[in-house]
Amino acid sequence: MMIVRWLGRYYSVFVLLAVYELIVRLGLVSPRLLPSLTVIGDQLWIYLANGQLLMHAQVTLYRAFAGFALALVGGVVIGTLMARSRLMERLIEPIFYFGYPIPKIALYPVFIFVFGLGTGSTIALIFLECIYPIAIHVHAGMRSTDRVLIWAARNMGASQAQVFWRVLVPAALPIFFTGLRIALPVALIITLVTEIIGESRGLGYFVTYASASFQYARGMAAFVVIAVIGFALDRALQLVRRRVVFWQRTDVEIK
Amino acid sequence: MSAPIIVVRGLGKRFSRGGKDVDAIRDFNLEIAEGEFIAIVGPSGCGKSTFLHMVGGFESITSGDLLIEGRPVTGPGPDRGVVFQEFALYPWRTVAENITWGLEIQKRSKAEQKAIVERLLAKVGLTHFRDHYPAELSGGMKQRVAIARTLAFDPRILLMDEPFGALDAQNRELMQEELQTIWNEARKTVIFITHDIEEAIYLADRVIVFSARPGRTKADIRIDLPRPRDIDVKKSKEYFDYRNQIWDLLRDEVLRARAEFA
Amino acid sequence: MAKERYPAWLGLLPPLVIVAVWEILGDAGHLPDYLPPPSVIARQTMAMLASGELFQHIGVSLFQALSGFAIGAFFGVTTGLLSGALQPVERFYEPLISLTYPVPKIAALPLIFAWFGLGDMSKIIIITVSVFYPIYISALSGAKSVSKVHVWAARNMGASRAQIIWRVLLPTALPQIFNGLRIGLALSFVVMFVAEMVVSSVGLGFLIVFAEQNLRFDIMYVAIVAIGIIGFGADFLLRQIGRRVLVGQMAATELRR
Repeated sequence: MMIVRWLGRYYSVFVLLAVYELIVRLGLVSPRLLPSLTVIGDQLWIYLANGQLLMHAQVTLYRAFAGFALALVGGVVIGTLMARSRLMERLIEPIFYFGYPIPKIALYPVFIFVFGLGTGSTIALIFLECIYPIAIHVHAGMRSTDRVLIWAARNMGASQAQVFWRVLVPAALPIFFTGLRIALPVALIITLVTEIIGESRGLGYFVTYASASFQYARGMAAFVVIAVIGFALDRALQLVRRRVVFWQRTDVEIK
Repeated sequence: MSAPIIVVRGLGKRFSRGGKDVDAIRDFNLEIAEGEFIAIVGPSGCGKSTFLHMVGGFESITSGDLLIEGRPVTGPGPDRGVVFQEFALYPWRTVAENITWGLEIQKRSKAEQKAIVERLLAKVGLTHFRDHYPAELSGGMKQRVAIARTLAFDPRILLMDEPFGALDAQNRELMQEELQTIWNEARKTVIFITHDIEEAIYLADRVIVFSARPGRTKADIRIDLPRPRDIDVKKSKEYFDYRNQIWDLLRDEVLRARAEFA
Repeated sequence: MAKERYPAWLGLLPPLVIVAVWEILGDAGHLPDYLPPPSVIARQTMAMLASGELFQHIGVSLFQALSGFAIGAFFGVTTGLLSGALQPVERFYEPLISLTYPVPKIAALPLIFAWFGLGDMSKIIIITVSVFYPIYISALSGAKSVSKVHVWAARNMGASRAQIIWRVLLPTALPQIFNGLRIGLALSFVVMFVAEMVVSSVGLGFLIVFAEQNLRFDIMYVAIVAIGIIGFGADFLLRQIGRRVLVGQMAATELRR
């Protein structure tokens, strides 16, 4: 019963997969260029079984998480600073405002020289790139707290610290999580990009190497793994959000 | 009375929500002659807005008949102009452009549009605001624009869904007077939904008291106050009597409605 | 508000201080090779501008990024609006988008290159696909945010379905579409840049790789500064356009900054 409803909802996915397989089987495109789903599945199985995909996945995830965690801490600190101190806001905000549309990936080569080729430069880049949305959202979340909530707390005799922890922090949580939802995929993307550009490990490297050796089925198998990871991370974050911000259903936009 | 322009016979509306069926309206009957101003009062949630939406063609009919000029209602159209409680003005268009919106759909000429806009702006007293945006207007002004917009495409029937509900009391009184003045000129058929009994008595030829859910006619009271009605009529004894009569009828329904939700 | 206690020009201090310190340290020779002082970078920029070389690279990068952006934006807006207006359309796209949204499209880069060759077309394809997502999502969200009474008023005045989409859904969705466009625009530069770094013979991304390989750090920074300015400039232009187009929309608070 549930299966039928599930199939109905995702029908377009199955339709597209079927069309793809049909194109391949009919031989409209060279099967070396566009491998059939069974071949991809095969490669997926082989490389999962021999542990290679898992090894590379681990490397990628480690980098992404490390960078993300650092950006999380940094973003919360900066965002809070900006929200609490007008002076800090005046000094720091322009950097975020003007720096936002600049592709920070351009600084990657510089980082390679500073941190050396490898995980260090990747993590540094993730830190730089992810700190933006997190800091902005923390700042916005705290700033946009309804005045009356703070006034009510003061009215009831709360100290500065109590107002911060008991009013500002919970009030900022929904918007904070929106920032996380933006930053998390970015961390994954940056990791993959650096691996594609010039790394020797990680899923991005795996796809590049497979494509370069004309092993497209292998490359697509890795792509499937990446897709699953990206999807799972997003769902996991939503689950966490639902537990932590239990009083609100949907994502909030910054106005 | 000549043949009524709106005929409602045994009208019913059923909503299905989460597996449960709710009758918003059941066995509702009403006849409205052309040029009559009908006010409908009733407790919250009694179905009076739903009725208006059905006349407007936005909600489907579950049972019974709803005939306009002898023909059943099949969908919305410019023959029944609606004025919404939320104004429904388009924020990306100026006052003047909001008024011409319907005219543009009807492909009227630019010259025609301009003439109509100027006439209506004068009628609702907003000539100097023609290039302002809705965000810059007060509630009362927005409602006047909404009325002007509906009058612009000259519908035969006006459906007004608590049009003054979002206004403060002072503006509401003034808008009632203005509406009266406007209506006196054109004498369109109007169905006017409101919570405010005094507003209903002041404006209408007949006041229909809607029962609590499922809605139907509890009373149909003819208001025999002379037209045109100036504000002094609100101080008269007849007005006071009508008010008491209708409130007594309505109060029962309000209490019944409250009990249902308690 | 207390903000006025601190004047706006304070915001210029941190970057100016950084540049000043950078210059001083660089001139004194305290900085490593890969961090040339700003004056050296400025000089190299002038040289490359004069020789026209910089414009050539900028032109190519800009063309690819903007082409991909334009195509992706067109499809994103139209599909998003249609999905917002018609349930069957949304039901078709929803699973596809939500399943592939968290997937980094850039991971397909090597595959796209393998299938479509290493030329411009592959880059434009990947940019188009990447840009499509945020724009589709914001157009859809904007269209769905339309209030019932606005649609009813339009139907009341005799508008057809097409007229409702064009005259009610689109203007309602416009503020969110613009936010989506800003995200898409920034994204198009990033993707273009990355694609050029992976494989190209011209363009800003290529320029960086070339400079890096030849240890010409001054050129490297010229490219970095160039891409930064382009990214900022394009966003600025888009915001200006948005401000003109969205007159009267209260929701344009973000763009009013």
